[in-house]
Amino acid sequence: MGPDVTNGYTASRPVERLLSEWLLTRQVVSIPAYSVSKQVGILVIPGILFTRSRFVLVSCGYETDSKRNAVNSLQTPFVLMALVCTQYAGAADERVDFKTQVAPILAEHCLRCHSAGNRKGEISLATAEDLRANEYIGAGNSDASYLVQLLTSQDGDPPEMPKDATALPDDQVALIRRWISEGAEWPNDVVVKEKSRADASWWSLQPLQTAATSQAPATIDDFIRAKLAERDLSLNPRADRRTLIRRATYDLTGLPPSPEEVEAFVTDTDPNAYRILVDHLLASPHYGERWGRHWLDVVRFGQSIGYERNDIINNLWPFRDYVIQSINEDKPFDLLIREHIAGDVFGKDDPDVAVSSAFLVAGPFDDVGNQDPVQAAQIRANTLDEMIRATSEAFLGITIGCARCHDHKFDPITQEDYYALYATFSGIRHGSVDLATPAAHAQRSAELEPLNERKDAIEKTLADLDAHVLQRAREQLSTYEAQWTRETVDRTGTEDRFSPVTAKFVRLVCEARDDTPSASSGFRIDEFEVWSVGGDSKNVALDRNGGTASGQARKIEDFPGAYGPQHAIDGKTGARFIATGHDLTIELAEATAIDRVVFSSARGETTPDQRKFHFVAEYRIEVSTDGQTWQVVASGRDRRPIAQPAFVNYRLLQLETTDEDSREKQRLKKELASVKREITKVPALPSVWIGRRVAADAKGPFHVFVGGNPQKKGNAVVSASLRVMARDSNWTYRLADDASESLRRLALADWLVHPDNPITPRVLANRLWHYHFGTGIVDTPSDFGYMGGRPSHPELLDFLAVKLKKSGWRIKQMHRMIMMSDAYQQSSEFREDAARVDGDSRLLWRFPPRRLSAEEIRDTMLLAAGKLDTQQGGPGFRLYQFMQDNVGTYVPLDRHGMNTYRRAVYHQNARASVVDLMTEFDQPDCTFSAPERTETTTPLQALTMLNHSFTLDMATALAERLKREAGDDVVEQVNLACRICYSRSTTRDEMAACRELISQHGLAAMCRVFLNTSEIIYVR
Amino acid sequence: MNLLTDLARRRFLGNTHTGLGGVGLMRLLSGTASAEQTPWQAGQGQTHHPAKAKRVLQIFCPGAASHLDLWEYKPSLEKYHGKPLPGEEDFLSFQGKNGNLMKSPWPFVQSGESGKPITSMLPHMAQHADDIAFIHSMQSKTNTHGPGCIFVNTGHATEGFPSAGAWLSYALGSENENLPTYVAISDIRGEPPNGKANWSNGFLPARHQAIMMSDQKPIRNLARPGSISAAEDAASRKLLAQLNGRFADANSSETDLQARVSAYELAGRMQLSAPEVSDLSRESAAAHRLYGTKDENPLKAAYARNCLLVRRLLERDVRYVNLYCSSRASGVDGLLNWDAHKTLKPDYERHCPIFDQPTAALLTDLKQTGLLEDTLVLWTTEFGRMPTHQAGTAGRDHNPDGFTCWMMGAGVKGGVSYGATDEFGRRAELNPTTVWDYYASVLHLLGFDHEKLTWYHNGLDRRLTDVHGEVIKAILA
Repeated sequence: MGPDVTNGYTASRPVERLLSEWLLTRQVVSIPAYSVSKQVGILVIPGILFTRSRFVLVSCGYETDSKRNAVNSLQTPFVLMALVCTQYAGAADERVDFKTQVAPILAEHCLRCHSAGNRKGEISLATAEDLRANEYIGAGNSDASYLVQLLTSQDGDPPEMPKDATALPDDQVALIRRWISEGAEWPNDVVVKEKSRADASWWSLQPLQTAATSQAPATIDDFIRAKLAERDLSLNPRADRRTLIRRATYDLTGLPPSPEEVEAFVTDTDPNAYRILVDHLLASPHYGERWGRHWLDVVRFGQSIGYERNDIINNLWPFRDYVIQSINEDKPFDLLIREHIAGDVFGKDDPDVAVSSAFLVAGPFDDVGNQDPVQAAQIRANTLDEMIRATSEAFLGITIGCARCHDHKFDPITQEDYYALYATFSGIRHGSVDLATPAAHAQRSAELEPLNERKDAIEKTLADLDAHVLQRAREQLSTYEAQWTRETVDRTGTEDRFSPVTAKFVRLVCEARDDTPSASSGFRIDEFEVWSVGGDSKNVALDRNGGTASGQARKIEDFPGAYGPQHAIDGKTGARFIATGHDLTIELAEATAIDRVVFSSARGETTPDQRKFHFVAEYRIEVSTDGQTWQVVASGRDRRPIAQPAFVNYRLLQLETTDEDSREKQRLKKELASVKREITKVPALPSVWIGRRVAADAKGPFHVFVGGNPQKKGNAVVSASLRVMARDSNWTYRLADDASESLRRLALADWLVHPDNPITPRVLANRLWHYHFGTGIVDTPSDFGYMGGRPSHPELLDFLAVKLKKSGWRIKQMHRMIMMSDAYQQSSEFREDAARVDGDSRLLWRFPPRRLSAEEIRDTMLLAAGKLDTQQGGPGFRLYQFMQDNVGTYVPLDRHGMNTYRRAVYHQNARASVVDLMTEFDQPDCTFSAPERTETTTPLQALTMLNHSFTLDMATALAERLKREAGDDVVEQVNLACRICYSRSTTRDEMAACRELISQHGLAAMCRVFLNTSEIIYVR
Repeated sequence: MNLLTDLARRRFLGNTHTGLGGVGLMRLLSGTASAEQTPWQAGQGQTHHPAKAKRVLQIFCPGAASHLDLWEYKPSLEKYHGKPLPGEEDFLSFQGKNGNLMKSPWPFVQSGESGKPITSMLPHMAQHADDIAFIHSMQSKTNTHGPGCIFVNTGHATEGFPSAGAWLSYALGSENENLPTYVAISDIRGEPPNGKANWSNGFLPARHQAIMMSDQKPIRNLARPGSISAAEDAASRKLLAQLNGRFADANSSETDLQARVSAYELAGRMQLSAPEVSDLSRESAAAHRLYGTKDENPLKAAYARNCLLVRRLLERDVRYVNLYCSSRASGVDGLLNWDAHKTLKPDYERHCPIFDQPTAALLTDLKQTGLLEDTLVLWTTEFGRMPTHQAGTAGRDHNPDGFTCWMMGAGVKGGVSYGATDEFGRRAELNPTTVWDYYASVLHLLGFDHEKLTWYHNGLDRRLTDVHGEVIKAILA
């Protein structure tokens, strides 16, 4: 007997009554016992039910709310009954068959916590291995078997297992005992698997139902009315035109209608005025910005890499522009989906198509280099997991990610399915590539070629010249070496003594760094001492003795002085100055006679050779009395150079280069610089973050990772379609293990939008509905599985999906159809009698009002103030300051400049950043796909809206606009403000109250109030 | 603020649908949630079972503060200093190769009646040894700071999940509506690895994110702008209350409109309360001395002031405070946080004194004021460090396989050391403990069954403890 799932009960009746009804219809005669255990959201009533002919195990659950989180809300429970019957029986004289009798018991009660992917207590019951290794079973002796002890009551205590669940029924325990007594035979080929709650018969996996009979509903309203009628409900009357234009304009463009547009529409006598309005809005470029933003939520589009380093990504915006343009052009959505997965394959030579595959790498990833191979493999697996989840949730409404460690517990997705996708995406790495047409590539190469040839030639001549000089120098090497009398520089302490000299300033000038002579900045100094002449010689550089230090240093914006020159004179080691220039200068308290300096980068360190102690190799010490003219008092030239060819050569070149050599070198260097300049003038190709395709990563074979652990390879997998949907042989694929990386993605792309695929169009149609009405027909738009919601109007959903396909996947037609419906055009008027039956209007007896999204709120403020910059596309703007010191930090701005007055969709959204208004009004962190927005109300919103300078700037600008457009008359100003902000005229009370405030505190004060009102951010 | 509606879920519940709506609305607006109903409700101050702890202070030392140099004494490191780590002569960790075993640069001192050995670098903290339950067998699943930090804060090593504080905000709601429920205090040196993801609401509604504040940085947008006079502000808010009130009345079925009216009232109260709580000048000179707020080391003084701020926040029933001591991994290691890859000794001689006195003072203060009785104090870091030195250096590389976290206060047994790493400190050996176990225990003390505190998101009922976690009974009082 398969699962018997009855769903859709919406009732306040006690669940026991529902249960007994069900039992009656199935001729169940008695319930000997049942127990109730209440967990959050699920009531489970397991028990043994006897029917006339056999006994079955029943478990019955209900959830209190289709959204599950609202378990605690005040609504009447939405009751769902899921009744699963498992039949098992067997004559006592037959041997127990493990596969058919014992394995199902383990699968049902044990595998949840004891599988390969979740080995609680280090025990997996998927195979016999752990049981045997841990001696849980004494074959032939069931009483002594630990397994049986765990399952049965010991010393009056309830059975230890299953933990926090109802004990196994006696007959099941008896069966296990018998199995053990009979030798506990577990055939090697039997791997026990937890059965997913939903199987291939799950509603969302079924083919689209096309209306077969002529009586079938033909319009959206037919479906809506039919459902309403079942509950004796009806649609509200049409909304008034003022409400309708505001609703439609926000819905399609994310902006309010202008006062003129409202008046024109309200007074338009054309019966087609609304249809014309909808068409007009769909043609607006702002339409793509609004609906593009929806899609960017779904594809978790974010412009920083996330995780520890969270570096900003400055070249992902072309993907955002692609989305907006595609939607404005009404590009067939199946094409858009294919382009997302494999646009770079079939649009290889077309940057406008290839850019779409940035979808794959628009999510966060961890780019911290990890030398531990086990951890590195785990991080890579996490990165691919992110792509798999993003893909499956966006297009299929299936949370395939849950099958990473074990077969999906709820939906019929296996680990093999998951790792087939792993194989599909394995060649993708985050990063940028040059995106250009072949012609552009060729042109650039052609322009660069002669320049690079010239550059190479000059560099060779220079190298030859140096080689020649070095050859001469080596002939008198011993003479030179004789000059190198002092020891080599020492990171732990280097001293220079010189004849007493009076100095107010002392500086260390670095000529070459001790790890690479070609660099002369980047050296570090933990202490620099300047010693005065005489018996009471003291370190006059020390800050305590009045010294001050200066020098260009590495900076951290949010921690000034972290690597500053002050570290060199603080008398402490451990922290050091990191130069970004070439010198460190000490100013003494007063001109002093000195004769010695001591400096170091690793004083007292036991391992001074590390990179963090980079020091000077070649240097000079200079002094000055005025800070203008400098005198060299010491240098490293008489020291032995560091014993590496590069440093010896550096020294020899300095000594042997003649004036003539020098002039020739200068000439060549100048020429080289000029060629390099020309090279940089050749326009670079656009580098876009669409990810790199790495052949080595794409190379198989690929395996299931047992328990999600990359170190535990299971069965081999190849790129293939989901098995559960394999019933239709037209609509499956399974590639050879050597199929190319591009072929794998192409196969997936085609499969996602295959004509036989019911899921993708269903999911997309539901998203459209969700954004129009605030709640989808399925209220979990990216989860059509067991854990997701059930469709409120299943037939309507299929009707829409079929229409979507028939329209060639063009969504503008869908908008038209939805928005022309009575359901959409009805008023949002609240009716108590209807609410009593359907509180949140899932059946649409009224149009559900909504609060604006964060983006709409900001855009509305800008538009009302007359400041909205409607420039489309291009690099985004930032409402934060981006700082980088190994890791990125995002600090919200206190003032928003004019360059930020573009629509919010063009904001360069970074992960793990907080930007005042946007964050507080529930703009999601773009780490996960956000198929729906939450809407919260907090005091912080109030504080930001009242006090952030953005509000004040907008209030001032709105006041100026009112004066400009309405003149000096206060009444006219207030009237215009109401028309701009609320699309309506002013009431008498409002007028009086507003005039009072204006008279005392000015027009801008009133504008600040208006921008804070609830009405401006609500759409009815 | 817990009582403000989450419109997406409670959209237009209607007042009459269940007969409860009216009552619910009253409670939403009055802020007086009662716990008499039987089914547990989130955000109403209700718990699953009676709670030991009413609030939490979580001190976080980012950068992977070394268990071997602070809390877990390993005599074998002294004995075998300079010898290879047996069995792991040639292993690769985060930054690559490792050298031989390296003893801690400082001696350990037996502390308290329990005689717990604690590094001599933390003399003030050592005075609290008898009140602390050390967990020496923590394990992480990542050896990278960013994922490590969010793992220890959210129970997940990937981004996008709510932090423990956000979960508590969701579970309980606010205790003091004039102050934020959940506060995150960054170090003056900047944000920890992975930044704001450490105190994110994740997929929970935005109101559950931590409010960032510190002695150095007040709550954003709290103060009335200088360009607006008090009189103008008051008159403007009066008009606003009128307009919003009228709109809410005209649409009385929309509970969120009433909630918006309340939100503006709460904002006004917060504008009065928050500056008061941040005003450390109200503290006695003795208190300032105890914490070290005037220390000549500006980093220590800044942290000390944040510690003092914490006491004032906890006193006023802020439910969850994240206090950070140090920040991210800088371009040059060891300077900004506890990530001592190359020069352990000077690095920790910088960090320990910043941490020691102010933290110990805060604990002393909590004890003396009685707050500790129902305050749970957590000390966490993202993972531990290797018993060996990193090849060619005098520092230690990342070690996710064994490290120490601790807790003390409400419901926690003092002077306990639970679990242990192996002889050398390389791996958790005795009672290996996960972050999920840690938070299962934290939630238990707060009155919650960690398996029942859930939120549906993208296909799963998500938990702070993922699908794991066992309460660590041995450390419960």
